[in-house]
Amino acid sequence: MRTTTLRVRSAPGCRVGAEQLLPTGLAALTVAEIARIVLPAGNETCAVGDLFDISRTEGDVAALVIEGEVQWLDRLGANLAEGRIDVQGSTGNHTGFRMAGGELRVSGHAGDFTGCQMSGGRLTVDGNSGEFAAGPLPGDMEGMTGGTLTIRGNTGARLGDRMRRGLVLVGGDVGECAASRLVAGTIGIAGKLGPHYGYGMRRGTLLLAHAPAHMPPTFTAGGHGFDVFWSLMVRSLAAEIAPFSTLKASTLPRRYTGDLAVDGRGELLIVG
Amino acid sequence: MQINDTLIDDTFAEAFPMKATRLVITAHTPVWANHAAMSLTGFATSVIGCGCEAGIERELAPHETPDGRPGVAVLLFAVSTKELAKQVERRVGQCVLTCPTTAVYSGIDPATSRAPLSDNAPLGSSLRFFGDGWQIAKMLGNTRYWRVPVMDGEFVAQESTVTVKAVGGGNLLLLARDMDSALRVAESAVAAMRRLPNVIMPFPGGVVRSGSKVGSKYAAAPASTNDAFCPTLIGLSPKSELDAEVSCVLEIVIDGLTDSDVGAAMTAGITAAVVLGRAGGVLRISAGNYGGKLGPYHFHLRQLAAGVEGRRA
Repeated sequence: MRTTTLRVRSAPGCRVGAEQLLPTGLAALTVAEIARIVLPAGNETCAVGDLFDISRTEGDVAALVIEGEVQWLDRLGANLAEGRIDVQGSTGNHTGFRMAGGELRVSGHAGDFTGCQMSGGRLTVDGNSGEFAAGPLPGDMEGMTGGTLTIRGNTGARLGDRMRRGLVLVGGDVGECAASRLVAGTIGIAGKLGPHYGYGMRRGTLLLAHAPAHMPPTFTAGGHGFDVFWSLMVRSLAAEIAPFSTLKASTLPRRYTGDLAVDGRGELLIVG
Repeated sequence: MQINDTLIDDTFAEAFPMKATRLVITAHTPVWANHAAMSLTGFATSVIGCGCEAGIERELAPHETPDGRPGVAVLLFAVSTKELAKQVERRVGQCVLTCPTTAVYSGIDPATSRAPLSDNAPLGSSLRFFGDGWQIAKMLGNTRYWRVPVMDGEFVAQESTVTVKAVGGGNLLLLARDMDSALRVAESAVAAMRRLPNVIMPFPGGVVRSGSKVGSKYAAAPASTNDAFCPTLIGLSPKSELDAEVSCVLEIVIDGLTDSDVGAAMTAGITAAVVLGRAGGVLRISAGNYGGKLGPYHFHLRQLAAGVEGRRA
């Protein structure tokens, strides 16, 4: 398979949509054909060859490497189903939008709606992410429905809004309304929480590495006897980022359930 | 062929396709995992009357189980995927769900299974309804679990269990001089077989005394006593295959995930039997078949015994 490398030549003065830049699609094209791909840029368009220097190497899997800061590049990895995308810099909004498989790694920061409606694969952001990570598009009913989203830094408001399945891990702090309207799935947060976390949470798991400053009023103590599930969860997190990878099956977290204003079968697990 | 003066009959065991699954039952202590496994595999000696054949494959150390607790691997065999699913649901629902501290998981890895895969059978997905709405599904990695609230905490069950196309009905007939010799050789053979993976011997203690033949003089009976090997019918039954020296015959039935697993178990049983040899009262080793017309798997005793060590004649 082929690895396509795009090195930023010049940043445009507008936002550019990157839906067409998928590793398997690019692997089937010549460098000249890639250069002629036309990307949407607001009401304008621009060619890949005008934005990037393009090179090609052979590799084990179809891969796309982007070298340079591309905060102006939106929807990178949208609908990604296979292959690998490696961004050596920061990306724009909707990174990994509706991603279904493969791997996407961003070494810098990502904009808003990271992993929006993703259903599979692995998306990793080494820096921070904006708002609505793992959430839905405005007006849609479901956010993330599968896969693993890891954000090593901080993330903005509404993390995991309407998320239904999958795993989200945040190594830093999160903004307000984390896990709001969570339908199911697992969200792990290592840092501090903004206000109104778990708002409207129906089911799912919110795993906190540190005790929050306050408990939501619509959560109640969730009892005991979940040690088997906890053991399974700890084992499933062993290959993920710290501190989640260092959790011990023998150390049961405190458990609360809620949001009782809605279904109330969500659980809040507090390790610290 | 004789090994240590025990005659190996020039015959074969005839075995049949079955559907099978492995369940991993874990519990807070090995004792409770065993309680659940014993209960689940009870009354599961023959598909003729029990719906399935089941047995404990082996005990599992904590590092071998999904949740890090001690466990037991059990194998269940049935004639169809539908019947297997029915038996899994009933038996897990009545024997594992009810047993303190237990959890249950699928025990066959589709990626490494040598047996051909078949349809998945529901596990937690059907038992979850016991939760009366309080149950929770949880996806961890690619595996979906159900968490059903029970009075000691939660009953955790994997959503479904992988089933495979397996082999049932491998067998050995151990013809002995007396009852003590027959029990001794049967126990020794079963112990040797139990050291192997992927097989169970579903009868009590792994041994059956009521070997059967297909059909009966009575229309309602699908099977009846194997009069050819009944010592009280020597000289009476025209089909008798025994001579006056034989006074006790015991059979070991083997179900395995693949035909090579069944063959390996039969070889282990023959090896254990001929160690005792004629001096230990083991006169002959034979096998049951139906002329080779019913089952596609034929385990020829002399081929299985070809590599067995011992004094040949």
